[in-house]
Amino acid sequence: MTATQTRSGAREATTLPSTRTTIAAFWRMDFIEEISYPLSFALTLLRTAVPIVMFFFIGRVVGRQASVGGDYLTFTTIGLAITALMTGGMSALGGGLSRAFQRGNLETLLVEPVPWTFLPIAMNLWKTFLAVVNFTVLILLGAVLGANFIPSATPQLLIIAFLGLTSAMAIGVLSAAVLMLTLKSQPVLVVYTLVASIIGGSVFPVTVLPGWLQSLSYLIPHTYAINGARTVFTEDPGAFTISFTEAVLALGGFTIVVLPLGIWLFRRSLEFARRMGLLSGY
Amino acid sequence: MPQSTAPGGVAPATANREMEPVTGAQPYISVNNIQKTYFPSPPWMKALVRTNIKEPVVAIENVSFEAGPGEIIAIVGPNGAGKTTTFRILVGLTTPTSGEARIMGLDSTLDSTRVRSTVGWMPGDDRSLLMRLSCKENLLFHGRMQGMDSKQMKQRVPEVLEQVGLGHAANKTIFALSAGMRARIQLARAIFHSPKVLILDEPTGAVDPVASHGLLNLIIDIVKENQLAALISSHRLEEIEALHSRVLLLDRGKVRYDGDLDSLREILDRPCIEFDFANPERALHARTLVETQFPKSTVSVVEETTVRCILSSGRTAGDVLTQLTPVLADVEHLREVQRPLRDLLAEIYLGADTEGAA
Repeated sequence: MTATQTRSGAREATTLPSTRTTIAAFWRMDFIEEISYPLSFALTLLRTAVPIVMFFFIGRVVGRQASVGGDYLTFTTIGLAITALMTGGMSALGGGLSRAFQRGNLETLLVEPVPWTFLPIAMNLWKTFLAVVNFTVLILLGAVLGANFIPSATPQLLIIAFLGLTSAMAIGVLSAAVLMLTLKSQPVLVVYTLVASIIGGSVFPVTVLPGWLQSLSYLIPHTYAINGARTVFTEDPGAFTISFTEAVLALGGFTIVVLPLGIWLFRRSLEFARRMGLLSGY
Repeated sequence: MPQSTAPGGVAPATANREMEPVTGAQPYISVNNIQKTYFPSPPWMKALVRTNIKEPVVAIENVSFEAGPGEIIAIVGPNGAGKTTTFRILVGLTTPTSGEARIMGLDSTLDSTRVRSTVGWMPGDDRSLLMRLSCKENLLFHGRMQGMDSKQMKQRVPEVLEQVGLGHAANKTIFALSAGMRARIQLARAIFHSPKVLILDEPTGAVDPVASHGLLNLIIDIVKENQLAALISSHRLEEIEALHSRVLLLDRGKVRYDGDLDSLREILDRPCIEFDFANPERALHARTLVETQFPKSTVSVVEETTVRCILSSGRTAGDVLTQLTPVLADVEHLREVQRPLRDLLAEIYLGADTEGAA
């Protein structure tokens, strides 16, 4: 976006914001709001971390199991960390939109001279950042409790985590496109989250699922992100493995197809809501 | 497509004729025959969200007006008149079903992104503010979104806060402010990026009468000083009178009157005389006397002992006094009064003839 110029060359009042400026504006707004509720922020982190401790003790009860690579804590730490990261990426935009609907300041955002296509990205950033923090805390906590990771494979883990995040954001944008019309619920996200929690292999291996559910699991990015991360970052990923290359290709391909589609749909939904007069409704 | 203008010779970097503001003495705001119809949701959408619209609702119909620099137009009308829909079309939050609206020569539908950078918008609801942020941070967020650089914003924040009387509250969080202060910070946000056009939707809606008087004066000063074009909607009739501006009366989506209040009074106003009597019985008697003789005049007892006569055309105060001879000795005070603005507006909205509503 560039500043427009008058015919005499003077700077016109209708300068549009740069991408960097818009991101900075949203980032600062979300940051200030977040630290306004310090206890809530701390409890959110705690709530996500507690399951790791729980699975640490469950691991002691179930003992070593070949299907999970022997060590249940290592297995679940990766599953929970990747799931937390992807859930954060998926729900960031929808959550931001819902809050804006309820608080009544969505219109305030929409009357700023920012292309509406860019809004989903800008509104995603802070919550996505928090999801990354959450992911990091979970991995570190798992390591402290004795999970067997391969530290030298951290770059590969981060690549898979990043692609898992972008594919989750793509689903989040798709869901937000529907939210613009439903104003409240996010059916796409609810259905996907339910399905992914069962067939993604977060806390149990996909191999224990019936055959047809195993086949279905290949259709969702969670399976590639979780099991790809386990394969590259743990000594023994268990009975079900996804290679680094397979994970990168699947997650990258999913993002390339679904993210532009989601942004296009989001834009269409906004335009439709604008025409129907739904933007201020709730 | 008429060529339109942004004063100061503003031209965009892109050479798209449809979007290009051009030079010349064109209005800042130009609304040409716009209509907005809200349609029921399509059947596939009913499963997603239910709406109350069962058949098409025409929110505004053939509305046209223009406003130039330094001009304020008060948009007046009862609930559902189409005021907010008109504003929402102008800032690009919804689209007209037909017709076109332009701000500084830019089409509000086709070039809404750039339109939004030339408009200062103050919604009627203070929930539009970012409640957990301070006054200063609210302005900075808006400034960044408007593409202002740090230097500009650093200079503008104290300047604008001082202008709206909130220089002392820069670091106060919005939720801690009174309704009057929130209205002022909303105004500060609307003018922060130095827009050419102000659109203020019931700016004094939640403000007490004294504070609203101050806010209104402030708006008038800002508009005049900066030669902005401003649209202000309000339900408060005393405010509309105080604006001394052009008035656009909307009713059920149609423009019922476009002009100044003095001209409206000239068209609709009729002599109005009030008599104060010694007791209520004499007041009632006086009312009966006038009603009997002048059935086309409107006579009412506005307080127990006060009778108001709005005379039909051709009647004079002398005619009334003649009829009141039997009770004249009981008249304590006699005065000619200006009809309240609400009576004039009611006459328009109710479609009453000139003999009608008081």
